Amino acid sequence: MPVGFTSNPRIVPVLELSEVLDIKAAAPLAAAFLERRGAEILVDAARVEKLGGQCLQVLLSAAFTWKADELPFGIVEPSAAFLDALALLGVPADALGDQGLAR
Amino acid sequence: MSMTILTVDDSRTMRDMLKLALSDAGFRVVQAEDGVHGLEVLRLEAPDVIVTDINMPRMDGYGFIKGVRSDDRHRAVPILVLTTESDAEKKDRARRAGATGWIVKPFDPVKLVSAIRRVAA
Amino acid sequence: MDSLAAIKQTFFQECEEQLAELESGLLAIEGGIQDSETVNAVFRAVHSIKGGAGAFALDDLVRFAHVFETALDHLRAGLLLPSAEVTGCMLRAADVLADLVRAARDGGSVDAARCKALGEELAALDPDGAGTVPETDDGMDGIDFAPVLVELDDLDALPAPSGRHFTIRFTPHPDLYAKANDAAVILREITRLGDATITCDTSDVPLLSELDPEGSCLSWTIRLRTASDAAAVREVFEFVEGDCDVAISAEAEEDGEDLDVAALLARLQGEVAGETAEATAQQLIADETPLPGSEVIDLSEVRRQGKAHEVAPEPASKPEATAASTAAPPTIRVDLDRVDRLIDLVGELVINQAMLAQRVFEAGLARASGVAAGLDELEQLTREIQDSVMAIRAQPVKSVFQRIPRLVREVAALTGKTVRLVTEGEATEVDKTVIERLSDPLTHMIRNAIDHGLESPEARLEKGKPAEGQVRLSALHRSGRIVIEVADDGAGIDRPKVKAIAARKGLVAADAVLSDEEIDNLIFLPGFSTAASISDISGRGVGMDVVKRSIQALGGRISIASRPGEGSTFTMSLPLTLAVLDGMVVTVAGQTLVVPLTAIVETLQPKAVEVHGLGGAARVIAIREHFVPLIDVGRELGYRGNDADPLDCVALLVESEGGARNALLVDAILGQRQVVIKSLEANYRHVPGIAAATILGDGRVALILDVDAVVARSRSDAASHETFLAAAG
Repeated sequence: MPVGFTSNPRIVPVLELSEVLDIKAAAPLAAAFLERRGAEILVDAARVEKLGGQCLQVLLSAAFTWKADELPFGIVEPSAAFLDALALLGVPADALGDQGLAR
Repeated sequence: MSMTILTVDDSRTMRDMLKLALSDAGFRVVQAEDGVHGLEVLRLEAPDVIVTDINMPRMDGYGFIKGVRSDDRHRAVPILVLTTESDAEKKDRARRAGATGWIVKPFDPVKLVSAIRRVAA
Repeated sequence: MDSLAAIKQTFFQECEEQLAELESGLLAIEGGIQDSETVNAVFRAVHSIKGGAGAFALDDLVRFAHVFETALDHLRAGLLLPSAEVTGCMLRAADVLADLVRAARDGGSVDAARCKALGEELAALDPDGAGTVPETDDGMDGIDFAPVLVELDDLDALPAPSGRHFTIRFTPHPDLYAKANDAAVILREITRLGDATITCDTSDVPLLSELDPEGSCLSWTIRLRTASDAAAVREVFEFVEGDCDVAISAEAEEDGEDLDVAALLARLQGEVAGETAEATAQQLIADETPLPGSEVIDLSEVRRQGKAHEVAPEPASKPEATAASTAAPPTIRVDLDRVDRLIDLVGELVINQAMLAQRVFEAGLARASGVAAGLDELEQLTREIQDSVMAIRAQPVKSVFQRIPRLVREVAALTGKTVRLVTEGEATEVDKTVIERLSDPLTHMIRNAIDHGLESPEARLEKGKPAEGQVRLSALHRSGRIVIEVADDGAGIDRPKVKAIAARKGLVAADAVLSDEEIDNLIFLPGFSTAASISDISGRGVGMDVVKRSIQALGGRISIASRPGEGSTFTMSLPLTLAVLDGMVVTVAGQTLVVPLTAIVETLQPKAVEVHGLGGAARVIAIREHFVPLIDVGRELGYRGNDADPLDCVALLVESEGGARNALLVDAILGQRQVVIKSLEANYRHVPGIAAATILGDGRVALILDVDAVVARSRSDAASHETFLAAAG
């Protein structure tokens, strides 16, 4: 499974991104987000080694969806590869959730 | 962390030459003799990039590419076909089958390696 | 080196297996098994041996395998039937091939005479009697591992980010991802070219409930500052062509003074980039809470409109970028089908205009009347529209020329010659379809110029020339055609040798008196460039006759000018488009036909003394001491049962495939004109002897004659021609 969950009762639900976010990871990732819709969410990007265009679409869509739902959405612990990929793909850090990217 | 490359070609000489060029670049190489064999190898291996010939017995390159793309485990693997420079028709057919790109024969080892790194990025 | 030696061992082992496969396959074919897999396996065996042998420079083996493969190719294509004679010859050839393999491996020698004899026997199997084949699909599909000079600038060195500015608009299609490409891969390649400012347009990203995870809803705008040219930028998209929309617009090359402005713009761009993505994120929310009048919504509307028209405009929210790009004309990307549709429509407009003109003429309206004057203007306008539409499809020949330096390097390395390539007129434009079909003949000509034209460095020094040879490739427009020249400063054509070869091969009589020009043109004859001039570099089917044929197929002509000791120049002239054709309009048995002008050498009125019967219906006509087969077009196409009387007809002397001359009998010539080509197959079906159709000014459909096909049909009708002609000529 490319997507795993870790419940952290002290803060908010965390969605942990898998290492390789290629075409195969896009649909499971979208499904995982849809399952979590309706509650605040933190996305853990610590393990990400590779981020492709389609998974970026899912992440952006999720961020927009959470914003539309007026719920907090944040990315935490981004790996260097994840930040590099965002820069390469021309997406500023604050486009993914109002909390920005905290290291 | 070295990448694994699957080469599919019916000529052993060609397979050996590919292996020489790819091993020198630090890749791990697995080989198959034709499309059918290539699909068999893929049951055990998960290569990072596939390099395949077109003209092969039993199953040609087009059939092989379609097979890989319809296998959920491997459909995200970049596939480069070996083709001649002038052969636009073959390139086109290979692309329609799902090839990621091509390598022009006779291949230059440096360009082969850089094409592999490029699509595997 | 050890590894290569080991591979060579493998190669020889593999050769043994292939030889066994070859023998058993040939025996099976001899035994009556002729399924395509058996024939393919036999072909592949020889093909494989040839490929490996080429990689290890085993020249004798390559040469023989090549001739063998050619014969097998004919067998595979059904051009050669596996008679006992043919399979017998091939089995003996397989033995010679085995001897050659073993000689290459063990260092022994082969019976050179036997090898040569069988090579000639194989060549003689050629159904054209000419021993050459057109380049097939997999003509070079061998195992070539040629040593290639690696240039440092080929490596991933970062070019100094200076020089040009490009704005690239990139929208992937879902297919791009499905083929395991990724936007990130493309963007990374772009960043390797120089300083790139990348902006992601997220305005089409829907909410999760509507998102297709394997779809594509992002697009990118990249501002690139690079030392590379537009071709290098386009090359990044090589693998994803057709799987994305790309618009690349170049801005004027900056000079020193602009540098600061450029840097400032780049910085502004970066800031704008940030704002855009943020703004678009907000806009997504705006989908549910509309914010009328906001700039962001304008942007997305512009984008949507742009999509509908398949153009990629500069994003409207970036005044800086727009201002910076005013120096270069903006470009749009248009689906080729739309352009072709436009060309079709304009073609119909031309026809309609001609019809209208004819009606006006028939109605007897005075030349000076207002209608006639208006028609003249309409004609002028129509021509201009036609030219402008054709210009849309035009592309610079640069895309073909770009591949030549690498080819030159490779051929130079293989021949041990040093070559300097000079190219001129890369910007010369010609129709896309012509460009696509230019590559093969040009490749052959360049190979030929280096392989056969240039002398070895030693020979050049002896003659007081610089050791480095020069090949000049140039393109220019001349009287409505594109002229491409390949010139070398080599030894020029060795006329005595050429004549001797042609005489030995029975292409000319040994005592024929030929002008220099006639001798030079012998190299275009089919059968000339087989055994004597075949070389490993030239590869399959590289005879100049093939080059000439492919150029003629494009409606072009090729000529040669050579000066002993100074070099040779091959000049090909091609039409700028394949959508219109210069034709001669003729009538045959009440039908109107168009004969492509490029095929016609001359027209003549047959006289009684010139026409000779050959028994049966076959006839020849004497034209300056040569007998030329006389073909009644009306009869070949089935328009009439009996041959027309040649004395009441006009003969068109045509040159067909391979330079053979024939005289086509038609009833009358109506005139010459440019016609718009309509595919017959697209509208109707394939008709033998007919290449396409056109519509004439009076609205009648006229068929465009396929000269080669008519000649080929008549030849199969009457094989007796050949024997008689051989005796007569």
